[in-house]
Amino acid sequence: MGEHSKPEWNLLVPVLAMVSFPFIRHLLGYNPIDSAFLIVAVPLAIFPVILIIGQQYKGEDWWKHQLKEGGIVALAGLAITLSLTIWLIIEFLVHHAHFGDQGAVFDWITFDNIASDNTLTESVLSFGIWVDSISLTVLFVAAFLCFLICWFAIGYMTTDPINEDRNHRFFAEFVLFSMGMFGMVLADSFLWLFIFWEIMGLCSYLLIGFYWEKPSAAAAAKKAFLTTRVGDVFLMVGLFMLYDLYHSLDFAVIFGDPTLGGTIHGEDLQWPIIMMFIGCVGKSAQFPLHVWLPDAMEGPTPVSALIHAATMVNAGLYLVARMFPIFSEASFEGALSDVAMLIAWIGGITAFMAALIAFVANDIKRVLAYSTMSQLAYIFTGLGAACWLANEGYQKYALFAFGAAMFHLFNHAMAKAMLFMSSGSVIHEMHHAHDHAHGDGDEGDHHHFDPQDMRNMGGLASKMPVTSTAMMLGSMSIIGIPLIGGFWSKEGIVGQAWNVYLKGGEMILFPAILVLATAGMTGFYMSRMWFMTFAGKPKSDVVEYVHEETQWIKTPLVTLSIVTAFSGFLLACGHFVYWLSDPASEKGSHFMTDFFKHPFEAILYELEHAFLPEDNTLKIVGWTAILLSAGLGPFIAARMHGGHLSEGERAVPLTSWLIRYSGSVGHTDVGELAEGGLATALHNRLYIDDAYEWIISKTLIPLSAISAWIDKNLVDGVIKRIECGSQWASTQIRQLTTGKASDYLLMAALGTLVVIAILWGVI
Amino acid sequence: MNLGTLFSGPDMASILMPEWILILGITAMIIVPNLGNATFRLPIPNTSIRIPYLLGGKRFSFTGDPRLPSAIAAFTLFASFITALLSQMIDSGVGVAEACISMTGAVNECAISDNYILRVDPFSRMMEMIFTAALLIAVIANMDRLPATSHKRLQLEVQEDPVAENRRLAKLLNNRRQVDFSLLVLMVALGMSTVALSTNLFSLFVGLELASMASYVLVSFHKETKIGPEAGVKYFIVGSVAGAVGLYGISMLYIWNGDLSIYGTGGLAEKWASEGPNGMAIIGLAMMLVAFGFKVSAVPFHFAAPDAYAGASGPVAGVLSTASKAMGFVALMRVLFGVTLGDGGNEWTILIGAVAAITMTWGNIAALGSKNPKRMLAYSSIAHAGYILAGIAAIGALGPGAGSELIATAIIFHLAVLVTFKIGAFLVVSLLECEGRGHEISHFHGLARRDPMIAIPMMIFMLALAGVPPLSGFLSKLMMVSGIISSTVGDVSGATLSDAFGSLSWVFWLAILIFINSAISIFYYLRICVVMFFEETDRSPRMSRAPMIRIAIMLCTMGAVVLGFGVLADVLAIAASDAAAALFS
Repeated sequence: MGEHSKPEWNLLVPVLAMVSFPFIRHLLGYNPIDSAFLIVAVPLAIFPVILIIGQQYKGEDWWKHQLKEGGIVALAGLAITLSLTIWLIIEFLVHHAHFGDQGAVFDWITFDNIASDNTLTESVLSFGIWVDSISLTVLFVAAFLCFLICWFAIGYMTTDPINEDRNHRFFAEFVLFSMGMFGMVLADSFLWLFIFWEIMGLCSYLLIGFYWEKPSAAAAAKKAFLTTRVGDVFLMVGLFMLYDLYHSLDFAVIFGDPTLGGTIHGEDLQWPIIMMFIGCVGKSAQFPLHVWLPDAMEGPTPVSALIHAATMVNAGLYLVARMFPIFSEASFEGALSDVAMLIAWIGGITAFMAALIAFVANDIKRVLAYSTMSQLAYIFTGLGAACWLANEGYQKYALFAFGAAMFHLFNHAMAKAMLFMSSGSVIHEMHHAHDHAHGDGDEGDHHHFDPQDMRNMGGLASKMPVTSTAMMLGSMSIIGIPLIGGFWSKEGIVGQAWNVYLKGGEMILFPAILVLATAGMTGFYMSRMWFMTFAGKPKSDVVEYVHEETQWIKTPLVTLSIVTAFSGFLLACGHFVYWLSDPASEKGSHFMTDFFKHPFEAILYELEHAFLPEDNTLKIVGWTAILLSAGLGPFIAARMHGGHLSEGERAVPLTSWLIRYSGSVGHTDVGELAEGGLATALHNRLYIDDAYEWIISKTLIPLSAISAWIDKNLVDGVIKRIECGSQWASTQIRQLTTGKASDYLLMAALGTLVVIAILWGVI
Repeated sequence: MNLGTLFSGPDMASILMPEWILILGITAMIIVPNLGNATFRLPIPNTSIRIPYLLGGKRFSFTGDPRLPSAIAAFTLFASFITALLSQMIDSGVGVAEACISMTGAVNECAISDNYILRVDPFSRMMEMIFTAALLIAVIANMDRLPATSHKRLQLEVQEDPVAENRRLAKLLNNRRQVDFSLLVLMVALGMSTVALSTNLFSLFVGLELASMASYVLVSFHKETKIGPEAGVKYFIVGSVAGAVGLYGISMLYIWNGDLSIYGTGGLAEKWASEGPNGMAIIGLAMMLVAFGFKVSAVPFHFAAPDAYAGASGPVAGVLSTASKAMGFVALMRVLFGVTLGDGGNEWTILIGAVAAITMTWGNIAALGSKNPKRMLAYSSIAHAGYILAGIAAIGALGPGAGSELIATAIIFHLAVLVTFKIGAFLVVSLLECEGRGHEISHFHGLARRDPMIAIPMMIFMLALAGVPPLSGFLSKLMMVSGIISSTVGDVSGATLSDAFGSLSWVFWLAILIFINSAISIFYYLRICVVMFFEETDRSPRMSRAPMIRIAIMLCTMGAVVLGFGVLADVLAIAASDAAAALFS
């Protein structure tokens, strides 16, 4: 890549042209719901195109520079899906309608069922579209972020010489992965949800292992695939159980009447839901199936942003959210509250554990990975609380908790995608700066320098203004600084978790305390990451050469910064939380009317009521959380890792106040603590990975050794013996074919006699 | 013009249209290539008025074109195929789906009491289509195996170099033989069609021998090779002996009954049902089974078959293993089902069952060790004959009924789809023959790298032969096995397991044997695939161009795929079940 690449905005013309796609569809007389299947179909069609053309024409100039090795094609396709999604949302908002089941787009398999009374009924496995507020939220998150991450990836991937001539593979897999996510969200049955779920699993394997020649990347890909596979097996078992109950996996059947005419009781559903939840645990990297996520950082950074923020990890949340109607079914009251409690517990434990490990992580992407686990765990806790409240009959609070959880999903996805991309930007520039500083051909030194290690950074705020601002806003959203992004949703989740306790779910006390503590810990580790990277004096000479370059990387960051900074506030004021759970509710309209009459009071009212219920105990909890996360955590981090920039360096105004703050709070040396036993344990991820390996080496490996022995000696032995016998018989038999016509005649004559004899003898 | 009118009248011209076209083609083949500017002088003194009579002289450039005979043959076979197809496709209200021709040449709507000699029904039409399709593919492919060179190019190629001169002579020889080959192919087609139509043992035998005699010559057609004529002669010797035995058997049946018609008043079936066979009839039947057993290459009459297949050129071997074999099965089914099964006479069931078991096992085991792909395919075709014989034995054990019709459907379906993948496999071998190879399994090494457009079809053929779903070979085998099993275990529901197994018909075990044999066969089919894809070769990647063989291979591939899980699978299955119903009516 050249030092100063020329602007390449002209390449975006085809992409922008694609935005007109919905308008054309509209002019042709289609409505958005008829076009929804295109959200899945377009990426599916683009995937082979990029792959085949890329394989054929890689290295050619037009492919490399005009189409960015397929990136432009992928981006154009994702532009179509994004514009279709927005069209769908506009239609949804205008009509306030529950689209629900839209019927089959196509029939896949038709088969007969034999019922117990020996009659046949025809079943069809068909693919259809199911659109409601939940799927629209997740769909928008996925489509929007896929588009931006693809944009980012064009800048990130095509400028790296290691990726030369194989980026078409990346973009093809990227598009297929997006297709899997869109399909999963839009599917109208658990079967298709599962199929797309597995497509994502496959693509995550391929993408994490994109640098397959690196053993660590290959191992990480394998680990991610196998760990999620463990969950998927349970998910499949859960689906079987569900099918056994309902004789269908269609949402329309299951959610239409969860009791199936009163024949199904809540107790029947406990195990299916637990099984399916284990699948979600695997996919969303929750304890105890979380071990794959940190390792998955081996993939290229856009992949981390894609998998760990925008799409795949949200799949598990989406599936749990999908099952919410079952929990809120009136006749199941109380039967499923234990399951809901389990969800909350898993969430609480993971949130705390991941935050703890993030304290000591030095790899910038690993911090984000653990933060992802922790934040997803928040959402699980929120969903668990929502399910519990719904199942115990507190519908009003349940809807609020559910909305808060989904809102957090939205906020977290936006912020985390941006954080990952910012970290990608940092890594990218550190890498280039290192090449620049030490010469491109200096391979030997290359291995010692880790561009992802925050201990090599510091003081980058002045070098990378856009990135540092983006990262600041993202971190603030994750931490939950008031008025920004994740603030409302996080307070909602914490509040509702405690609300469950107040409503009689004593079991929730432990996870509720954990998430409250985690709020403060989040404040610490996110601030620590920012300060280590951007504040203080440079910790290596490489930093001198860092600068931001390509617009491909900056544009998505700016876009997402704006989204993160304002969307939380706007959506909270727009009662997104309520709208999610009950789109027909009219609550959203209050704010706008009040706002024009007396704007200040309106905003204050919303601030108070958007996230906090009118209960004094909960208010205390909420303010504690705010204090911990916004005040205490960042303060400690600033003391430990903050500091002024070097002389003469100047950060942009948006971030300079933070630098000043960090430099003025003093300094604490934590060297001793970092040497302690707890830190070592945390560095080793609490030994969970090691425990798994130990268990596997003591159980599975001997078992497989025994199986291998049986297979090799017993099974293969028998087969080999059969084979040798057959070959021997073959040789013997073919010797009868002598090649002499007289012998053949003799055989035929004998045969004739035998035939006559048999026929004669039988009669 | 409404095509339906072609078949509308119950008269000889319309209902035998496919055969008339073949006869027309044979006539044209004899006449057209000989057309020239020959004249003769009127025997009037002092005049030189010459009247052209066209036969002979210097031939016109069109009629003298060596590529013409193949074109005529292909066109004739295609037309015959299409007319047979149309006569079945057109609504029975318009065309004649069924008609019979009696000994005196009268054409009637079929009445079962009538004493007729040829019968047109879905079964015979189906068989005609199988025969003509197989021969059509063979003719197309043979255009590259026996390439015709235009005279202009031959004249340009005169060279002093003795090697080039030899090559030129070979081309000249090929040109000379074009008419012979095409004529023989059309003869085969006519003979086979006659067999398909015959309901009289005499006409059946005439048709059988017409086709057989022509095919013996076709086997040894490449007389400049060493193995070709040898194989042809061996095939001829054994075949003629088998034919003679069969004819002897027919004459015994004639002595017994005094009439060789199968159906109708005074026919064999009536006598068999009413009086039961005596010793002479049994011996006659046994001898006929020998003759037909040779045609389908059942053990122990199969010995000449591997030699013949290995000696013949690929397309001809393909015809032998599909059309010729199907002809044998038509004859076998006509005699066995027509004559003996009418009154539940199934004396031959045990015999056919035993032969089936031995044949399929023998074929598969012998194929396991074969190093020559063509011999391997020959043995595999013997094994397939075993599967079909097992189906026939099952029909014998079950007697007429829905189950039998299902199995007969499977047999006919199998014979039809064999045309695609069996010939296809032989054609791939034939493509290798074009470069002087193809007689060693090592010649397949690295084929996928040399030419994936050939290796992938070959893999499809092999998988279809092995019966891997969802290819057509699987469907036919599935229908056969499920037909046998569902017919034999239909009445054991509710019994305990041991009772159920105890009361099973022995035919059930034939189905199990088909399973086991299929498993064995996968080994040698997949071995071809393995060496194609995973072995290295030092041959240059350029294969022979051979465009016509490639076209034929593509046709076969499409057939194997489309008839397996495409829309046409249903169509073919329905046609086969119509044919099976007609066979038992």
